[in-house]
Amino acid sequence: MSEAFFSDATRQWQALLQQSAGPWAEWMRAGAQPPNAFEKWSALFGGNNATPTETIERFVQGARDYLSFLQAGMNVGGINAEGMSGWIEPLKRMFAAPDGMAGAFEHPFAKLWPGSAAGMNPFALGMSGFGQTAAPDLRDLKSWLKLPSFGPAREHQVNQQNAALAWFDYQQQIQRHNELMLRAAKRGFELFEGKLSEREQPGRQIESLRALYDLWVDAIEEAYADIALSQEYREVYGDLVNAQMRVRSHVQKEVERLSSDMGVPTRSEIDSIGERLQALRREVRGLRGGDALIDEIADLRGELETLARNAVRQALGERAKTSAQVAAAPSVARVDKPRAAATKPKKQSAKTAPARVAPEKAAPRRAAAAASGGFATRIAQFADASLGGKRKARGNKAAPAKSSRGAKAATTRRGKRAHS
Amino acid sequence: MQAVKIQPAKAAEEVITTQRKLGAALETLRSMDDVDFGVTAKEEIYREDKVVVYRFKGERAPTAKVPILIVYALVNRPYMVDLQDDRSLVKNLLAKGEDVYLIDWGYPDGADRWLTLDDYINGYIARAVDAVARHRRVRKINLLGICQGGAFSLCFAALHPHKVQNLITMVTPVDFQTPDNMLSNWVQKLDIDLFVDTLGNVPADLMNLCYLMLKPVRLNQQKYIGLVDILDNKVEMENFLRMEKWIFDSPDQAGEAFRQFLKDFYQGNKLIKGGLKIGGRDVHLGNISMPVLNVFAEQDHLVPPAASRVLAEHVGTKDYTQVAFRGGHIGIYVSGRAQREVPSAIHEWLAART
Repeated sequence: MSEAFFSDATRQWQALLQQSAGPWAEWMRAGAQPPNAFEKWSALFGGNNATPTETIERFVQGARDYLSFLQAGMNVGGINAEGMSGWIEPLKRMFAAPDGMAGAFEHPFAKLWPGSAAGMNPFALGMSGFGQTAAPDLRDLKSWLKLPSFGPAREHQVNQQNAALAWFDYQQQIQRHNELMLRAAKRGFELFEGKLSEREQPGRQIESLRALYDLWVDAIEEAYADIALSQEYREVYGDLVNAQMRVRSHVQKEVERLSSDMGVPTRSEIDSIGERLQALRREVRGLRGGDALIDEIADLRGELETLARNAVRQALGERAKTSAQVAAAPSVARVDKPRAAATKPKKQSAKTAPARVAPEKAAPRRAAAAASGGFATRIAQFADASLGGKRKARGNKAAPAKSSRGAKAATTRRGKRAHS
Repeated sequence: MQAVKIQPAKAAEEVITTQRKLGAALETLRSMDDVDFGVTAKEEIYREDKVVVYRFKGERAPTAKVPILIVYALVNRPYMVDLQDDRSLVKNLLAKGEDVYLIDWGYPDGADRWLTLDDYINGYIARAVDAVARHRRVRKINLLGICQGGAFSLCFAALHPHKVQNLITMVTPVDFQTPDNMLSNWVQKLDIDLFVDTLGNVPADLMNLCYLMLKPVRLNQQKYIGLVDILDNKVEMENFLRMEKWIFDSPDQAGEAFRQFLKDFYQGNKLIKGGLKIGGRDVHLGNISMPVLNVFAEQDHLVPPAASRVLAEHVGTKDYTQVAFRGGHIGIYVSGRAQREVPSAIHEWLAART
């Protein structure tokens, strides 16, 4: 191999690197640029040192357009004894150039969509640089992109060709979208004329530039909504976004390839790690019994604690009744409500059926709860024993399985989870 | 008769006034600090990953026995419900004796890329509900779902009805394919898999642009021109900037959850058509057996009223109440009428079911 060959190969490699990194460098530059609209505005009105924020920038843009509108209105309207009559044609000239696009008052749609203001549009952001590097001449694109590739760099070349084709398609989709926006703008003027004609009656006439502007906004929004809700727009918008995603995807793949060559970790690798980590977290949770089993245990624990608490209260009430002859009836009523609620989670384990208390389980407990005297004390003892057992069982993984209802539900859920 | 009858002197005055106000605005803006938000004191009661559950502290102890947990949307920050002193759903609910908790989803990043709707609904929400129930020592709580959070709350209530005492949904989409739903129209032909595979997490800026494009001239221009009218009013300017902050202070969307939400809810409309599965379990709105209060906004451009109203036809409960609020998607929290009507409606409805 000659030295010239290596030198040439090195140059080509560097050129390729620069080309592929171009759009991302552009993206970075776009993101890092400090906003300067406020400075311009500050200069315009003699201010400085204020904090630039996105709100201010948006305001500045709106104010600038509005001032243009006011100024244009003053210039084209003409002044006569009847006020500014004959406004419709001047308005058309003011809002629209002969082809219906932006005139003195720049059309907002033109500023919001790809190809005109990348900084405003995340879909467009970062795409212009790619266009410059990947598709320098779109006119001949399709012809040479169909050429077969061969040689050691075949795969890379195919990828580049596909990326360029995707870019070409993206440009076509932008064009389709812009045509619809243009149609919305034209329709907006038709509606605007209609709205103006409705204002010819005395008392409804427009008497300020601001009112005129607001009427125009109503018309243009109405026209836009008609388009944006249409089946046609659904197709065009979907195609536009899909096309751009394809371009981005190709760019990402190329960046990944270069990163990999340089030993830099790629997004795919990190994504893969993240996906595995998340899967592991779910698995660990499942191994612990899953949220459903944890719910079940918590419910059972709560049920027992409620049972014990109420039984103790009841027992204390009985003692008080014995000593002070005080009626303890309310404590009986308090017992029943939590127990009825406590049984509902069992229904959740059945999943679809409405909440229902298993009568064979609930009835004896209600009877026990409703009982008085020494029986309540026995319930308290039973509850204490159960709680103690449960507390011990917390450290014992086999313990939940000993609870017949809980074990059944948990097994069912685990089975379903594993199945799904 | 001419439709436009603008006197020259008046037109000139408009121009001069606008110029003068713009010039004076600098002084107003210079004198303003960054806006604050979230006025009500709160304590953290639960934390997991980036999710935090807060309990708000009112000026007096709550009288309600069952707490309310607010489940906000993932696409915006939840401080909208407590934006400022005189515009706070939370504060008004507390004043009426309710005990209010809230899930703050945080700002998802690359580590959250693989979170699914199962992780959000059967995971984070379920554990947040448990945390609130433990904190208040109750078995069930009231759930208040807002917008996308309302859709999540419906799923949660259908999957875990035994944990929800009462369900309140606000500006919640249920039918995701009503003819007047612009967002829905836009996403029907999107290749969601390509979209999420390419973007990973969906950037907040992209989401915001989509919202702005729902009414492009009104939201990108007319709103800021209207700002001219309040440039010399510091309080009004602060209110405006606070709202601006909320609008654009948006979290990125976790990729997998976004994928499923768009495919199953928007494209599949499975919440009402059926076939929705969260964590492998079928979601049937018919399983929602607890009382339901559905509050929607009549001028909502994000969630059209028809998209919410249809809930009445699908829930299993016989205790269903619907409240139509005269306002928009944002006004339902921050307008003066909202302060008077919404918290009262919620409180009275809950009180009747205690």
